[in-house]
Amino acid sequence: MEFLGSAMNELCFTQESNRRGRLGRRKVEYDDTREYKSKNLHAERRRRQKLSDRLLALRSMVPIITNMNKATIIEDAITYIQELQQNVKLLSDQLLEMEGSSEEAVQKRSDEINAAEEMKQCGIMEDVQVTNIDRNKLWIKIILEKKRGRFTRLIEAMTYLGLELTDTNVATSKGAMLVSSCVEGSYGDTLTVEQTKDLLLEIIKSI
Amino acid sequence: MYEETGCFDPNSMVEGPDGLSQVLKPPPPPVPLMAGSTTNSHNSFEDNIKLSAEELSYHHCNPHQEVDASAAMDIQLQNQQMAFNTHLMQDSSNQVLAFASSSLADASYTPTADLLNLFHLPRCSASSLLPNSSISFTNPTHTTPLGLVGDLPMTDTASASSILYDPLFHLNLPPQPPLFRELFQSLPSHGYSLSGSRDSSLFGGGGDDHVEGSGGGGLYQDGDGEQQFDNGVLEFTWDMACMGKGRKSGKITKHFATERQRRQHLTDKYQALRDLVPNPTKNDRASVVGDAINYIKELLRNVNELKILVERKRCARERRKRLKTEEDSIGNNVHESSSIMKPLGDPDQSFNNGSLRSSWLQRKSKDTEVDVRIVDDEVTIKLVQRKKINCLLIVSKVLDELQLDLHHVAGGHIGDYYSFLFNTKIYEGSSVYASAIANKLIEVVDRHYASTPSSGCY
Repeated sequence: MEFLGSAMNELCFTQESNRRGRLGRRKVEYDDTREYKSKNLHAERRRRQKLSDRLLALRSMVPIITNMNKATIIEDAITYIQELQQNVKLLSDQLLEMEGSSEEAVQKRSDEINAAEEMKQCGIMEDVQVTNIDRNKLWIKIILEKKRGRFTRLIEAMTYLGLELTDTNVATSKGAMLVSSCVEGSYGDTLTVEQTKDLLLEIIKSI
Repeated sequence: MYEETGCFDPNSMVEGPDGLSQVLKPPPPPVPLMAGSTTNSHNSFEDNIKLSAEELSYHHCNPHQEVDASAAMDIQLQNQQMAFNTHLMQDSSNQVLAFASSSLADASYTPTADLLNLFHLPRCSASSLLPNSSISFTNPTHTTPLGLVGDLPMTDTASASSILYDPLFHLNLPPQPPLFRELFQSLPSHGYSLSGSRDSSLFGGGGDDHVEGSGGGGLYQDGDGEQQFDNGVLEFTWDMACMGKGRKSGKITKHFATERQRRQHLTDKYQALRDLVPNPTKNDRASVVGDAINYIKELLRNVNELKILVERKRCARERRKRLKTEEDSIGNNVHESSSIMKPLGDPDQSFNNGSLRSSWLQRKSKDTEVDVRIVDDEVTIKLVQRKKINCLLIVSKVLDELQLDLHHVAGGHIGDYYSFLFNTKIYEGSSVYASAIANKLIEVVDRHYASTPSSGCY
């Protein structure tokens, strides 16, 4: 296909030269169009180059290739992609079949036991701190013991009670979870520090 | 030579294939180096066409043979050629019929009209665009035209074989026939199929009717008249004649009547590629190819990841079985076996730990972008949403379902977007994989958006 491109180039050139030859007197007027044409030429050439580079890259990725023309590259790529998709489907079905083992439950419990112990060892206590930074914005910091699904329940409770977390940061260390967040009232009401702190302590106890 | 057509005795043959069988005959002059390249395709036809092959050898152009072959070898090769002829027949059925109708203007060939009905002229769909659909012909359970052809018991065909063979001689045959090249091209595709899918064609077994789309269609467009038939005839004879050269080429030739058809065909292929890719952007050719490249890379990553996971599961299962048998054996007071089995378990584990599982993929939907990276058991999820709905709760629920342990979260409201970064760890024993995570997340988040009324608050 490069031949076609270069042939077209030559065609343009010959056309240009013809024009120049025939209407040589009007060189000045045609300068602009020629410049546009040449820019177009370059742009078109670059576009074709880009396409052919990518086609080359595509061909390099497909393991089984047949002919080396544009059409068959695309065809081979289509075939290969479909084959890969089939593979993925097959493997994921296989994986699904093999699902379901009894080992996981044991593992989970042992993790949680470790977490609680770690916390006690390091002396980390569950804690809540609330600071007012704006009329209705609060910064909160919560330290809680990490348990499976606890974070979800925390967020759930907070949103249910009208606390909207604008920015959140959660870090985990030694079996404890630190949640620091900027909180706003969901319903536009102002929150006081005391109220919020009590609320959060309640939440932590309940989850 | 054409007189001998009448002498041809289609004993047990159906009237229809009469023309076909004779058309089948044209033997390629040189013996191909195809012996190695034929797969199981020809076996089903060997019995049917053995006799014809013998006849062929009479007329076969011996000097052209490049391979020193004994008589038996000859016949075998002839069989293979015939097999390919028959395969060629099925795929280039239109060309065949064109050939038959144009070159053998005999009254006995009126049955070709019936055959025309048998050969379904397909619409030009994505898969029919692919000459690899010719793979389907290798399925021995085919009953359509191929069965027709395959049923022809070749009796004495000395007369018949000469008919079409002679004309071929007189043509100056170009060395590279696209038809045959494309036929061979279809063969390597066998290597593609997984163990489970050996017999099915790549495109869901629907290849029966997928005669080469535009080429055949082009030939049979009404009102195009003789000229196209002649083209088809010439190309067909070239192809048949040069089949013997054994080029490993091989899709079926697309005979485009016009340049416009060729361009259209190419555009359709680009469109087909675009449709395969999950998130197509920018409908121009270069970006389609670029998307395809990225998608292939992603698919390769996914396949590797899944392979590792399956391997792990299998080893875990075997280990469990071994442990179980150990317990049983201990129960039976066979201590030796248990001591033997334990060291066996270790190589499996070390194999697992050696191969690091890593994958990465991105998924986009209208308002959501998900980027999932997995290294070993750590999953990093980046989530960007364009709607002003806080999804922290939703996502953490999903992560719990997927058995991912949240270690670190950072994110929030940024202008119009909600952006989050989740660092999670996979709980042991869970075999969740990247694309599952990404798809689930997008699905749940989008569903949540769809269900909640749009408002500022959550």
